[in-house]
Amino acid sequence: MNSDSSLPSLSTSSSPAPDEQMPSDEGRDVPQVRLKGEGGRLLLLLPPELDTPSAPNTWTEVCRQLQQRLMAGERFWQPHTPVHLMTRDRLLDGRQLQTIADTLTDAQLILKRVYTNRRQTAVAATMAGFSVEQQPIAQLSVTQSNPPPEGKALVEPLYIQSTVRSGVEIRHPGTVVVLGDVNPGGSIVAEGDVLVWGTLRGLAQAGSAGNGLCLIMALRLEPTQIRIADFVARAPEAPAQYQPEVAYVSEGGIRIVRAADFSRDRPI
Amino acid sequence: MSRIIVITSGKGGVGKTTCTANLGMALAQRGHKVAVVDADFGLRNLDLLLGLENRIVYTAVEVLAGECRLEQALVRDKRQPNLVLLPAAQNRTKDSVSPDQMKKLVNALTKVFSYILIDSPAGIEMGFQNAIAPAKEALVVTTPEISAVRDADRIVGLLEANGIRNAHLIINRIKPAMVAQDKMMSVKDVQEILAIPLIGVIPDDEKVIVSTNRGEPLVLAAEASQRGLAGQALQNIVRRLEGETVPFLDLTPPADDFLARLRRLFRPTE
Repeated sequence: MNSDSSLPSLSTSSSPAPDEQMPSDEGRDVPQVRLKGEGGRLLLLLPPELDTPSAPNTWTEVCRQLQQRLMAGERFWQPHTPVHLMTRDRLLDGRQLQTIADTLTDAQLILKRVYTNRRQTAVAATMAGFSVEQQPIAQLSVTQSNPPPEGKALVEPLYIQSTVRSGVEIRHPGTVVVLGDVNPGGSIVAEGDVLVWGTLRGLAQAGSAGNGLCLIMALRLEPTQIRIADFVARAPEAPAQYQPEVAYVSEGGIRIVRAADFSRDRPI
Repeated sequence: MSRIIVITSGKGGVGKTTCTANLGMALAQRGHKVAVVDADFGLRNLDLLLGLENRIVYTAVEVLAGECRLEQALVRDKRQPNLVLLPAAQNRTKDSVSPDQMKKLVNALTKVFSYILIDSPAGIEMGFQNAIAPAKEALVVTTPEISAVRDADRIVGLLEANGIRNAHLIINRIKPAMVAQDKMMSVKDVQEILAIPLIGVIPDDEKVIVSTNRGEPLVLAAEASQRGLAGQALQNIVRRLEGETVPFLDLTPPADDFLARLRRLFRPTE
């Protein structure tokens, strides 16, 4: 028996109907706050100030993302790990820097140093008593404000240990692993794969930069919608029993198979 | 150390204010000094439910403007002197107060009161931000409907993002008979999505509407029969808030037998 046949097939569309049009990519590429381990310290990368209507990167939003990332990754750093803040082009005043420092303190992290290429931010940081390094962006190995459009390797996976609730959108230029549920109204947009060790009830998009080889997998796959590269699919009627499943692109559409059958049957 | 609890839901009309009024009253009945704060500026209701509307002289806005002292604005409940209400202004909007001002107000209340319950407005805008700013704990109220649960989910996320991780769930207005027929989301369905600890399940009860219209919180009723299961559930929530382990009410739909139904209603152990 073909492993696919026992599963309801998804309605797929390689050329979506007008009402199923992919949302405009504006804002999809707007980076979010990132925490990155490097040589025993944590780098905190702030997104640039890009105010698109679909993905506002306002200060409030940055704070929210920072809180969320700190909460979702607690296990991955020891208390009192030094944090280096990369503000890139973003302007921050003394109060905002202090808010970041306080938020980090709450998570038992210490803001050690501020890297910026804006003079005003550097001044504010100095006034607030942080050690500052001001340098042009090109010299910072970790800040890729203008990544080359082609031949780019994905960044390291983002690991989120929390429930992604309604109204939260996680965007990451790599693979996203969620240890928890993705609730309806929540969404994951990854340039790599999306792995949900829990129930995926919200929206997941894998290969958001166009990579059709990316996968979406979940212990319980009951999404509002899934997208891989340019393909969109709605979830089928709820099956009688849920099993871990994998969604992938094949023959111009998104297919779903049981995880147990996936590696065996998938034509590579 | 006083406890500052915000009662919030996201969606409107799920029973935030009713819960605030009843929980505040029940806590006061248990001998705590309680202040209930109406954070719904412009659409205040809490005074109505407590039957204190005609005794409001000053509101939180006047306190903040320095036109009166905080004590002058507090309305003491005559039936239950442990309970006071800090009313919201009706002729202003949510933007007339800032989160910092709310913090200041509530912090001043902590000097006298051991419980401060903040009744949050619906939505996630300024009014909500004001309501949660001073809070250390939250009670998230939802009804078993997908729209209410979706909004509650968003609220839990926002509470977490604002550093309030001590949040408990109240499922309001459940109809056991409908759940049994699979026509309504069950407690388990709701919990599966929201994944925060449950502190109470309140059955749908017409008595609540009557008590609301009269301005007499359900828990004030002298007779257990007048409080009904809903009143009982609210009192149980208060006991759980104080750390007691109270089993959840048996809300399985009553048998068709009228006598059995009566017996269930009056069972004292519930």
